[in-house]
Amino acid sequence: MWQRVNNVVGAATSPDLDAQLMLRVRDGDEESFRVLLDKHRNSLVHFVYRMVQDQPVSEELAQEVFLRIYKTRASYEPTAKFTTWMFRIATHLALNWLRDEKNARSEARLDEDRGGDLPAREVPDRKPTVEQRMVYNARLQEIRDAIAQLPEKQRAAVLMHKYEEMEYSQIAAVLECSESAVKSLLFRAYETLRSRLAHMVTGAPMISGSGVSGAKR
Amino acid sequence: MNCPLLAEDTTDVLLDYSAGRLDAKRTAMLETHMLSCVRCAAFRAEQTEVWAALELWEPEPVSMGFNRSLWQKIEESASASWYRKLVDALRFGAWKPVFPLAAAVFVVAAGFVFDHQGTGTPAPGILNGSGVSMNEVDQVEKTLDDLQLLRQFDAVSAGVTSGQTDSVPM
Ligand SMILES: [Zn+2]
Repeated sequence: MWQRVNNVVGAATSPDLDAQLMLRVRDGDEESFRVLLDKHRNSLVHFVYRMVQDQPVSEELAQEVFLRIYKTRASYEPTAKFTTWMFRIATHLALNWLRDEKNARSEARLDEDRGGDLPAREVPDRKPTVEQRMVYNARLQEIRDAIAQLPEKQRAAVLMHKYEEMEYSQIAAVLECSESAVKSLLFRAYETLRSRLAHMVTGAPMISGSGVSGAKR
Repeated sequence: MNCPLLAEDTTDVLLDYSAGRLDAKRTAMLETHMLSCVRCAAFRAEQTEVWAALELWEPEPVSMGFNRSLWQKIEESASASWYRKLVDALRFGAWKPVFPLAAAVFVVAAGFVFDHQGTGTPAPGILNGSGVSMNEVDQVEKTLDDLQLLRQFDAVSAGVTSGQTDSVPM
Protein backbone atom coordinates (compact mmCIF):
# COMPACT_ATOMS: atom_id res chain seq x y z
CA MET A 1 0.00 0.00 0.00
CA TRP A 2 2.61 2.50 1.05
CA GLN A 3 5.51 3.14 -1.24
CA ARG A 4 8.54 5.26 -0.86
CA VAL A 5 9.89 7.75 -3.35
CA ASN A 6 13.14 6.59 -4.84
CA ASN A 7 14.83 9.93 -4.40
CA VAL A 8 17.81 8.95 -2.33
CA VAL A 9 21.06 10.67 -3.02
CA GLY A 10 24.68 10.30 -2.02
CA ALA A 11 26.27 6.98 -1.22
CA ALA A 12 23.22 4.95 -2.07
CA THR A 13 23.01 6.04 -5.72
CA SER A 14 24.79 5.06 -8.94
CA PRO A 15 25.21 1.38 -8.14
CA ASP A 16 25.96 0.54 -11.74
CA LEU A 17 28.66 3.15 -12.02
CA ASP A 18 30.28 1.96 -8.80
CA ALA A 19 30.19 -1.62 -9.97
CA GLN A 20 31.69 -0.63 -13.31
CA LEU A 21 34.45 1.23 -11.53
CA MET A 22 35.10 -1.73 -9.26
CA LEU A 23 35.30 -4.06 -12.27
CA ARG A 24 37.94 -1.77 -13.70
CA VAL A 25 39.77 -1.89 -10.37
CA ARG A 26 39.60 -5.67 -10.61
CA ASP A 27 41.25 -5.43 -14.00
CA GLY A 28 44.10 -3.40 -12.56
CA ASP A 29 42.89 0.18 -13.04
CA GLU A 30 44.13 1.97 -9.93
CA GLU A 31 42.61 5.26 -11.04
CA SER A 32 39.11 3.80 -10.75
CA PHE A 33 39.86 2.87 -7.16
CA ARG A 34 40.84 6.47 -6.52
CA VAL A 35 37.51 7.59 -7.96
CA LEU A 36 35.60 5.19 -5.70
CA LEU A 37 37.67 6.30 -2.74
CA ASP A 38 37.03 9.98 -3.36
CA LYS A 39 33.34 9.36 -3.97
CA HIS A 40 32.62 7.33 -0.85
CA ARG A 41 35.34 8.35 1.60
CA ASN A 42 33.42 11.06 3.43
CA SER A 43 30.13 9.22 3.80
CA LEU A 44 31.94 6.09 4.98
CA VAL A 45 34.10 7.90 7.54
CA HIS A 46 31.09 9.86 8.79
CA PHE A 47 29.01 6.71 9.14
CA VAL A 48 31.74 4.94 11.09
CA TYR A 49 32.35 8.07 13.15
CA ARG A 50 28.72 8.23 14.21
CA MET A 51 28.87 4.53 15.05
CA VAL A 52 32.03 4.61 17.20
CA GLN A 53 32.09 8.35 18.07
CA ASP A 54 35.87 8.53 17.86
CA GLN A 55 37.41 10.39 14.91
CA PRO A 56 40.85 8.71 14.71
CA VAL A 57 39.30 5.27 15.12
CA SER A 58 36.64 6.00 12.50
CA GLU A 59 39.31 6.95 9.96
CA GLU A 60 41.38 3.90 10.78
CA LEU A 61 38.38 1.61 10.38
CA ALA A 62 37.31 3.32 7.14
CA GLN A 63 40.82 2.84 5.79
CA GLU A 64 40.58 -0.83 6.72
CA VAL A 65 37.34 -1.04 4.71
CA PHE A 66 38.99 0.43 1.62
CA LEU A 67 42.06 -1.71 2.17
CA ARG A 68 39.94 -4.87 2.23
CA ILE A 69 38.10 -3.79 -0.88
CA TYR A 70 41.39 -3.18 -2.66
CA LYS A 71 42.99 -6.41 -1.48
CA THR A 72 40.07 -8.52 -2.67
CA ARG A 73 39.59 -6.69 -5.97
CA ALA A 74 40.74 -9.71 -7.95
CA SER A 75 37.74 -11.75 -6.84
CA TYR A 76 35.15 -8.96 -7.12
CA GLU A 77 31.83 -9.85 -8.74
CA PRO A 78 29.08 -7.22 -9.08
CA THR A 79 26.44 -9.33 -7.36
CA ALA A 80 25.30 -6.50 -5.08
CA LYS A 81 25.45 -2.76 -4.88
CA PHE A 82 29.00 -1.67 -4.23
CA THR A 83 27.84 0.49 -1.33
CA THR A 84 26.01 -2.44 0.24
CA TRP A 85 29.24 -4.41 0.25
CA MET A 86 31.20 -1.42 1.53
CA PHE A 87 28.79 -0.57 4.34
CA ARG A 88 28.53 -4.21 5.35
CA ILE A 89 32.29 -4.39 5.87
CA ALA A 90 32.18 -1.06 7.70
CA THR A 91 29.33 -2.15 9.96
CA HIS A 92 31.10 -5.39 10.84
CA LEU A 93 34.31 -3.56 11.69
CA ALA A 94 32.50 -0.90 13.71
CA LEU A 95 30.46 -3.43 15.66
CA ASN A 96 33.58 -5.48 16.38
CA TRP A 97 35.39 -2.40 17.55
CA LEU A 98 32.48 -1.36 19.77
CA ARG A 99 32.32 -4.81 21.34
CA ASP A 100 36.05 -4.86 22.00
CA GLU A 101 35.95 -1.31 23.25
CA LYS A 102 33.03 -1.93 25.57
CA ASN A 103 35.26 -4.24 27.58
CA ALA A 104 38.46 -2.29 27.31
CA ARG A 105 37.55 1.34 27.72
CA SER A 106 36.66 3.01 30.98
CA GLU A 107 33.70 5.35 31.26
CA ALA A 108 35.96 8.14 32.46
CA ARG A 109 38.04 7.97 29.30
CA LEU A 110 34.88 7.91 27.21
CA ASP A 111 33.51 11.06 28.78
CA GLU A 112 36.85 12.78 28.38
CA ASP A 113 37.02 11.94 24.68
CA ARG A 114 33.49 13.05 24.02
CA GLY A 115 34.04 16.33 25.79
CA GLY A 116 37.16 17.16 23.80
CA ASP A 117 35.78 15.96 20.49
CA LEU A 118 32.94 18.35 19.83
CA PRO A 119 33.12 19.81 16.33
CA ALA A 120 33.22 23.56 16.08
CA ARG A 121 30.10 24.81 14.32
CA GLU A 122 29.16 28.29 13.24
CA VAL A 123 25.77 29.92 13.13
CA PRO A 124 25.53 31.23 9.58
CA ASP A 125 23.96 34.63 10.13
CA ARG A 126 25.76 35.79 13.21
CA LYS A 127 28.46 34.71 15.63
CA PRO A 128 27.10 32.51 18.39
CA THR A 129 27.40 33.85 21.85
CA VAL A 130 29.14 31.84 24.53
CA GLU A 131 25.75 30.96 25.94
CA GLN A 132 24.46 29.79 22.56
CA ARG A 133 27.57 27.76 22.06
CA MET A 134 27.10 26.08 25.42
CA VAL A 135 23.45 25.33 24.68
CA TYR A 136 24.39 23.96 21.28
CA ASN A 137 27.13 21.75 22.69
CA ALA A 138 24.81 20.45 25.39
CA ARG A 139 22.19 19.52 22.80
CA LEU A 140 24.76 17.93 20.55
CA GLN A 141 25.97 15.87 23.48
CA GLU A 142 22.39 14.76 24.14
CA ILE A 143 22.06 13.62 20.54
CA ARG A 144 25.35 11.74 20.62
CA ASP A 145 24.44 10.08 23.90
CA ALA A 146 20.99 9.15 22.64
CA ILE A 147 22.50 7.51 19.54
CA ALA A 148 25.26 5.83 21.53
CA GLN A 149 22.72 4.31 23.92
CA LEU A 150 20.77 2.63 21.13
CA PRO A 151 21.40 -1.09 20.68
CA GLU A 152 24.10 -1.53 18.05
CA LYS A 153 21.91 -2.79 15.22
CA GLN A 154 19.30 -0.09 15.83
CA ARG A 155 22.08 2.47 15.83
CA ALA A 156 23.48 1.24 12.52
CA ALA A 157 20.00 1.17 10.99
CA VAL A 158 19.20 4.73 12.09
CA LEU A 159 22.52 6.08 10.84
CA MET A 160 22.08 4.46 7.43
CA HIS A 161 18.44 5.57 7.22
CA LYS A 162 18.96 9.11 8.45
CA TYR A 163 22.39 10.14 7.24
CA GLU A 164 23.10 7.82 4.31
CA GLU A 165 19.48 8.02 3.11
CA MET A 166 19.48 4.32 2.30
CA GLU A 167 16.44 2.36 1.19
CA TYR A 168 15.05 -0.21 3.63
CA SER A 169 16.11 -2.97 1.23
CA GLN A 170 19.72 -1.82 1.24
CA ILE A 171 19.83 -1.45 5.02
CA ALA A 172 18.44 -4.97 5.22
CA ALA A 173 21.18 -6.20 2.89
CA VAL A 174 23.88 -4.51 4.95
CA LEU A 175 22.55 -5.83 8.25
CA GLU A 176 21.72 -9.20 6.74
CA CYS A 177 18.11 -9.24 7.87
CA SER A 178 14.68 -8.79 6.31
CA GLU A 179 13.13 -5.48 5.33
CA SER A 180 10.40 -5.93 7.90
CA ALA A 181 13.09 -6.50 10.53
CA VAL A 182 14.72 -3.24 9.46
CA LYS A 183 11.40 -1.38 9.74
CA SER A 184 10.94 -2.86 13.18
CA LEU A 185 14.49 -1.86 14.19
CA LEU A 186 13.92 1.67 12.93
CA PHE A 187 10.52 1.97 14.56
CA ARG A 188 11.92 0.99 17.95
CA ALA A 189 15.04 3.12 17.53
CA TYR A 190 13.10 6.24 16.61
CA GLU A 191 10.65 5.54 19.40
CA THR A 192 13.56 5.67 21.84
CA LEU A 193 14.98 8.77 20.19
CA ARG A 194 11.58 10.50 20.28
CA SER A 195 11.39 9.94 24.01
CA ARG A 196 14.89 11.33 24.48
CA LEU A 197 15.15 14.08 21.91
CA ALA A 198 11.72 15.38 20.98
CA HIS A 199 11.87 17.97 23.74
CA MET A 200 14.90 19.59 22.17
CA VAL A 201 13.01 21.35 19.42
CA THR A 202 9.87 21.95 21.42
CA GLY A 203 11.80 23.50 24.28
CA ALA A 204 13.64 26.27 22.49
CA PRO A 205 14.82 27.35 19.05
CA MET A 206 18.00 25.64 17.89
CA ILE A 207 21.14 27.36 16.78
CA SER A 208 21.97 24.87 14.09
CA GLY A 209 23.97 26.05 11.14
CA SER A 210 22.25 23.59 8.85
CA GLY A 211 19.02 25.50 8.39
CA VAL A 212 16.95 22.48 9.29
CA SER A 213 13.34 22.34 8.34
CA GLY A 214 12.92 18.92 9.82
CA ALA A 215 10.38 17.55 7.39
CA LYS A 216 12.25 18.20 4.15
CA ARG A 217 15.86 17.93 3.30
CA MET B 1 -6.88 4.89 4.18
CA ASN B 2 -5.92 2.64 7.07
CA CYS B 3 -3.96 4.10 9.94
CA PRO B 4 -0.27 3.31 9.35
CA LEU B 5 0.22 2.84 13.07
CA LEU B 6 -2.12 -0.16 13.11
CA ALA B 7 0.48 -2.44 11.55
CA GLU B 8 4.21 -2.39 12.21
CA ASP B 9 5.19 -2.82 8.57
CA THR B 10 3.33 0.33 7.53
CA THR B 11 4.81 2.67 10.15
CA ASP B 12 7.63 3.42 7.73
CA VAL B 13 5.29 5.74 5.88
CA LEU B 14 5.34 8.08 8.87
CA LEU B 15 9.14 7.88 9.06
CA ASP B 16 9.38 8.61 5.35
CA TYR B 17 6.96 11.49 5.65
CA SER B 18 9.05 13.08 8.40
CA ALA B 19 12.14 12.55 6.27
CA GLY B 20 10.52 14.18 3.25
CA ARG B 21 10.82 10.96 1.27
CA LEU B 22 7.16 10.34 0.42
CA ASP B 23 5.80 11.15 -3.01
CA ALA B 24 3.16 13.85 -3.38
CA LYS B 25 0.22 11.48 -3.72
CA ARG B 26 0.94 9.57 -0.54
CA THR B 27 1.90 12.71 1.30
CA ALA B 28 -1.55 14.08 0.50
CA MET B 29 -3.21 10.83 1.62
CA LEU B 30 -1.33 10.80 4.89
CA GLU B 31 -1.99 14.46 5.58
CA THR B 32 -5.68 13.91 5.03
CA HIS B 33 -5.55 10.92 7.38
CA MET B 34 -3.73 12.90 10.06
CA LEU B 35 -6.52 15.46 10.14
CA SER B 36 -8.65 12.83 11.82
CA CYS B 37 -6.00 10.64 13.51
CA VAL B 38 -4.55 12.11 16.66
CA ARG B 39 -2.00 9.31 17.09
CA CYS B 40 -0.49 9.74 13.65
CA ALA B 41 -0.48 13.51 14.02
CA ALA B 42 1.37 13.22 17.34
CA PHE B 43 3.79 10.69 15.85
CA ARG B 44 4.49 13.01 12.93
CA ALA B 45 5.14 15.98 15.20
CA GLU B 46 7.58 14.12 17.45
CA GLN B 47 9.35 12.34 14.62
CA THR B 48 9.83 15.63 12.79
CA GLU B 49 11.43 17.06 15.91
CA VAL B 50 13.75 14.09 16.27
CA TRP B 51 14.67 14.38 12.61
CA ALA B 52 15.52 18.04 13.12
CA ALA B 53 17.54 17.26 16.24
CA LEU B 54 19.59 14.65 14.39
CA GLU B 55 20.36 17.22 11.70
CA LEU B 56 22.38 19.08 14.31
CA TRP B 57 24.99 16.38 14.41
CA GLU B 58 27.44 17.04 11.66
CA PRO B 59 30.66 15.04 11.69
CA GLU B 60 34.13 16.46 11.57
CA PRO B 61 35.86 16.73 8.20
CA VAL B 62 37.99 13.79 7.17
CA SER B 63 41.71 14.25 7.72
CA MET B 64 43.72 15.63 4.81
CA GLY B 65 46.11 12.71 5.04
CA PHE B 66 43.41 10.03 4.78
CA ASN B 67 44.21 8.96 1.21
CA ARG B 68 47.95 9.12 1.73
CA SER B 69 47.70 6.98 4.82
CA LEU B 70 45.48 4.50 3.02
CA TRP B 71 47.85 4.15 0.07
CA GLN B 72 50.68 3.65 2.51
CA LYS B 73 48.73 0.79 4.09
CA ILE B 74 48.03 -0.65 0.65
CA GLU B 75 51.73 -0.57 -0.20
CA GLU B 76 52.66 -2.08 3.14
CA SER B 77 50.06 -4.74 2.63
CA ALA B 78 51.40 -5.60 -0.79
CA SER B 79 54.87 -6.16 0.60
CA ALA B 80 53.81 -7.53 3.96
CA SER B 81 55.47 -10.61 5.30
CA TRP B 82 53.38 -13.58 6.36
CA TYR B 83 53.60 -12.77 10.06
CA ARG B 84 52.45 -9.23 9.40
CA LYS B 85 49.40 -10.57 7.61
CA LEU B 86 48.71 -12.81 10.60
CA VAL B 87 48.93 -9.87 13.00
CA ASP B 88 46.55 -7.82 10.84
CA ALA B 89 44.11 -10.69 10.57
CA LEU B 90 44.03 -11.10 14.35
CA ARG B 91 43.96 -7.38 15.01
CA PHE B 92 40.69 -6.84 13.18
CA GLY B 93 38.86 -9.53 15.04
CA ALA B 94 39.00 -12.28 12.49
CA TRP B 95 39.37 -14.96 15.13
CA LYS B 96 37.33 -17.57 13.40
CA PRO B 97 39.88 -18.18 10.63
CA VAL B 98 42.49 -18.97 13.30
CA PHE B 99 41.15 -22.49 13.56
CA PRO B 100 41.44 -23.38 9.88
CA LEU B 101 44.76 -21.53 9.90
CA ALA B 102 46.00 -23.63 12.80
CA ALA B 103 44.79 -26.72 10.99
CA ALA B 104 46.53 -25.62 7.80
CA VAL B 105 49.79 -24.90 9.63
CA PHE B 106 49.52 -28.24 11.42
CA VAL B 107 49.02 -30.08 8.14
CA VAL B 108 51.97 -28.28 6.58
CA ALA B 109 54.15 -28.98 9.63
CA ALA B 110 53.03 -32.60 9.82
CA GLY B 111 53.68 -33.05 6.15
CA PHE B 112 57.11 -31.54 6.59
CA VAL B 113 57.99 -33.84 9.49
CA PHE B 114 56.61 -36.88 7.71
CA ASP B 115 58.37 -35.96 4.52
CA HIS B 116 61.72 -35.68 6.21
CA GLN B 117 61.55 -38.54 8.68
CA GLY B 118 64.51 -40.83 8.22
CA THR B 119 65.75 -39.23 5.03
CA GLY B 120 68.49 -37.24 6.71
CA THR B 121 68.68 -34.95 3.73
CA PRO B 122 66.95 -31.64 3.36
CA ALA B 123 64.32 -31.27 0.66
CA PRO B 124 64.88 -28.79 -2.15
CA GLY B 125 64.00 -25.29 -1.07
CA ILE B 126 65.36 -25.53 2.49
CA LEU B 127 66.94 -22.30 3.54
CA ASN B 128 70.37 -22.59 5.06
CA GLY B 129 70.25 -22.55 8.83
CA SER B 130 66.66 -21.35 9.16
CA GLY B 131 65.01 -24.74 8.98
CA VAL B 132 62.10 -23.22 7.09
CA SER B 133 61.61 -23.96 3.44
CA MET B 134 60.48 -21.49 0.86
CA ASN B 135 57.65 -23.88 0.04
CA GLU B 136 56.34 -23.64 3.59
CA VAL B 137 56.48 -19.87 3.60
CA ASP B 138 54.68 -19.82 0.29
CA GLN B 139 52.04 -22.19 1.58
CA VAL B 140 51.42 -20.21 4.75
CA GLU B 141 51.19 -17.02 2.73
CA LYS B 142 48.78 -18.68 0.35
CA THR B 143 46.71 -19.96 3.25
CA LEU B 144 46.49 -16.47 4.67
CA ASP B 145 45.51 -15.10 1.28
CA ASP B 146 42.88 -17.79 0.99
CA LEU B 147 41.57 -16.90 4.43
CA GLN B 148 41.28 -13.28 3.39
CA LEU B 149 39.32 -14.42 0.37
CA LEU B 150 37.13 -16.63 2.54
CA ARG B 151 36.34 -13.70 4.75
CA GLN B 152 35.42 -11.64 1.73
CA PHE B 153 33.47 -14.55 0.34
CA ASP B 154 31.05 -14.08 3.22
CA ALA B 155 30.49 -10.53 2.08
CA VAL B 156 30.26 -11.40 -1.58
CA SER B 157 27.97 -14.38 -1.11
CA ALA B 158 25.75 -12.41 1.21
CA GLY B 159 25.89 -9.72 -1.42
CA VAL B 160 24.12 -12.08 -3.78
CA THR B 161 21.19 -11.91 -1.43
CA SER B 162 21.36 -8.18 -1.27
CA GLY B 163 21.63 -8.00 -5.02
CA GLN B 164 18.34 -9.81 -5.20
CA THR B 165 16.93 -7.59 -2.52
CA ASP B 166 18.13 -4.53 -4.33
CA SER B 167 16.29 -5.54 -7.43
CA VAL B 168 13.01 -5.94 -5.61
CA PRO B 169 10.85 -2.92 -6.35
CA MET B 170 9.61 -1.13 -3.27
ZN1 LIG C 1 -3.36 7.11 12.10
